[in-house]
Amino acid sequence: MSDKVHESMLSVRNIFKAFTANIVLKGIDLDLQAGEVLALIGGNGAGKSTLMKILMGIYQPDAGEIYIAGNQVKLSKPSISLSQGIYLVPQEPMLFPNMTVEDNVIMGFKENPKQLRKRLLELMEQLDWRIDLSRKAESLSIAEQQLVELLRGLMRNSRILILDEPTSSLTFNEVKSLFRIVEDLKKKGISIIYITHRLSEVFMIATDVAIMRDGVITLNGPVEQFTEDMLVKGLLPENAKSKKLKQKAEAIDYSNAEPVLTVDKLCGHGFCDVSFSVFPGEILGLAGVVGAGRTELATTIIGRDEVLSGNVFINGRNITGQSTRKVMDNGISYVPEDRFLNGIFKISDVAANSSASNLNNMGHLFMNFNQERELTDHYVNAFRTKVTGRSQEMGSLSGGNQQKVVIGRALAIKPKLLILDEPTRGIDAAARGDVYDIIQGLKAKGLAILLISSDMEEIIELSDRAMSMYCGRINKKFSKNEITQDSLMTAAFGVAEEASNA
Amino acid sequence: MLKKHSLPRATTSFVFLILLFIGVGLINSSFLTLQNIMLNLNSSVIYTVVAIGIAFVIITGEIDVSVGATLGISAAICGTMVRDGNPVQGIIIALLVGLFIGLFNGFGVTVLRIPSIIMTLGANGIIRGMIYVYTNGKWIENIPLEFKALAQAKFLGIFTWFYFATLVAMVLIYLYMTRTRTGRYFKAVGDNPNGANLLGIPVVGTKIVAFVLCGLFASIGGIMYVSRVGFITPIAGNGYEMKVIAACVLGGISLTGGVGSVIGATIGAAIMASISRALVFLGFPSDYDNTITGILLIVVVVFDSVLQITSAEKVRRQRLSAKIVHAEISTPEAVENEK
Repeated sequence: MSDKVHESMLSVRNIFKAFTANIVLKGIDLDLQAGEVLALIGGNGAGKSTLMKILMGIYQPDAGEIYIAGNQVKLSKPSISLSQGIYLVPQEPMLFPNMTVEDNVIMGFKENPKQLRKRLLELMEQLDWRIDLSRKAESLSIAEQQLVELLRGLMRNSRILILDEPTSSLTFNEVKSLFRIVEDLKKKGISIIYITHRLSEVFMIATDVAIMRDGVITLNGPVEQFTEDMLVKGLLPENAKSKKLKQKAEAIDYSNAEPVLTVDKLCGHGFCDVSFSVFPGEILGLAGVVGAGRTELATTIIGRDEVLSGNVFINGRNITGQSTRKVMDNGISYVPEDRFLNGIFKISDVAANSSASNLNNMGHLFMNFNQERELTDHYVNAFRTKVTGRSQEMGSLSGGNQQKVVIGRALAIKPKLLILDEPTRGIDAAARGDVYDIIQGLKAKGLAILLISSDMEEIIELSDRAMSMYCGRINKKFSKNEITQDSLMTAAFGVAEEASNA
Repeated sequence: MLKKHSLPRATTSFVFLILLFIGVGLINSSFLTLQNIMLNLNSSVIYTVVAIGIAFVIITGEIDVSVGATLGISAAICGTMVRDGNPVQGIIIALLVGLFIGLFNGFGVTVLRIPSIIMTLGANGIIRGMIYVYTNGKWIENIPLEFKALAQAKFLGIFTWFYFATLVAMVLIYLYMTRTRTGRYFKAVGDNPNGANLLGIPVVGTKIVAFVLCGLFASIGGIMYVSRVGFITPIAGNGYEMKVIAACVLGGISLTGGVGSVIGATIGAAIMASISRALVFLGFPSDYDNTITGILLIVVVVFDSVLQITSAEKVRRQRLSAKIVHAEISTPEAVENEK
């Protein structure tokens, strides 16, 4: 055992974790000293949450060791992690909404409430934090809820706090006070793992930084050694520079084209001031990290969420604020991000799933089942979907085949514009290739496609133009030859905007 | 009820109860006499006992629709044994039956993860069938006068002993649920089960205890039923589940769990009993009783759910809006300057 393990508050060595065939963590080594703030950065699916869940005792690693203050520990359930002094402040705080702040903090302790209250007041005095203990948790802002979570952790004498994207739902002023709190904790000698998507925060708050990509730590060290550009490089795949991308299609000539969809200064819940157009036969990529507001943009365009200001036009016709049914009648179809939550009817059969978007046109009083059969067969054959038959239960299909059925359903209403939200998430490589072929085929037939994806390679491979969203705003637009891993990643993590403002 | 967030719902229910008395009293003044008021409260005792029991289950976020049947079978068992001269035995066995039913429901809901409405609906069917088998479909009559007299015995000449003891139990349970560590688990589990689990609170254990207490209180209700009513039909306790669920909801216990108290349940039960009697005083046939209970239940639940949906949507929108960067102030340079 190296000296570093003895000196560190927390050390993990050679952690491996796989879910079935998918290896999520491939030998993670990480050290955290007392009073250190380690910024942990990584794209979606890099393995950050898996690693944190292992530290919280929610998952067990397949291999590797964890040391706390030099002693090897086995974190087999959350209560053991808590007793070892690890506390996770989740992205969405897990409070009891109907209880007061005080009850929320002291819930789950064995001591008597009076002593706990005294300790709590002392702790708040010491840190000079003020929060009304008699307020109900449901009336607290996210920032205040985080404070309550932090108090919970500190009341348990936690030595290691994990903050999971704490600033993702905070306003600007709340971010400032959170940073002050983090500084206080740093001085108290508490070690913090700070997970974030915002590179600029790293230089404001962290002492050390580590970047995770595809289950490995690609870069790790004191924050002074790095610049934002170096961090962006760490986020990119190693072969990004050398890799030959698939032959790009010719750039489209837009001079005479009429846009299918025009979005003009659209504001909604979670995004603002978004303007762009999509042309027939083109794929417009929309890059960004999870939570940037991309899905909200899509659900607002299709009429599920409220438009605050701005306009949406389809072929010049204003469809702002219309119901989903009307938006679909006007030719927009949406393939949602979370297949299981919003995309499929799991226990219905393939045929029912295929026709679900188009029931209005399937006979009047009674369903026209011939038409449903035709429709189902058409897309099953066209997309080479692997099904045993029309009556196979949707839930028993593989992810890729489910997605093909969902895309087929979205096309059944003969849309002019197709919005695809993370079309290949959770789909294996072979099926991914099929889905790409389908998308390219649709484009060739003149369909306009808005492709929302966190997968930069997907955007590069498919898009004719691209734009990136950062914290609810479009911060950069790219023409075909400007789309590179580097430029997309830089913009998605918010570095572009800062550069332009500097 | 609009002041839900400033006043506890139990208080508004209490005001509702007083207004009910005054309103009916204006039409028929004999409703507003002390004697009648006490009669109303004393007659609510069985609803109150069963409502206190089911309050545990509802506060943990579950439901139990087998309480009426549990009351019925406990009354049948206790009734036959009291009639045959074994009152102590009858009471003990009735309580054990209630406890066992609670364990059965709790096990099904937590360990087997059957939705509580289905689990207890099934239990309700099983128990109702067993009452017929046990009684051969016959009425149980000839309960000794001494046993029936228990329900009429008065404390200080106004409360019956039954109601007085129930109120004392309610206060003790209220203190238990608000002041002790394990007592507070019930609300925590109903409020946010995942959060409770992360803090090391035994979610499964707490829910099972809630069902067991619910079964026990339903069988205590059954024992009181034997004494108060004096005969037991095979359908004794039918419809009590709706009455006590409505009592809890009226008293401010949220069906989604985590909100409310046994004080609210007690006030709600008094309202339920008073509505039945008020109908008589207003000259309506008592046939309307269940319809009015049902309407009240739905109105209160719809009102709560509308409040909840609007506030949840508001919170979601606030959170989404907070994510938007305001370009003019959000650059790191600006932050540095502020420092």
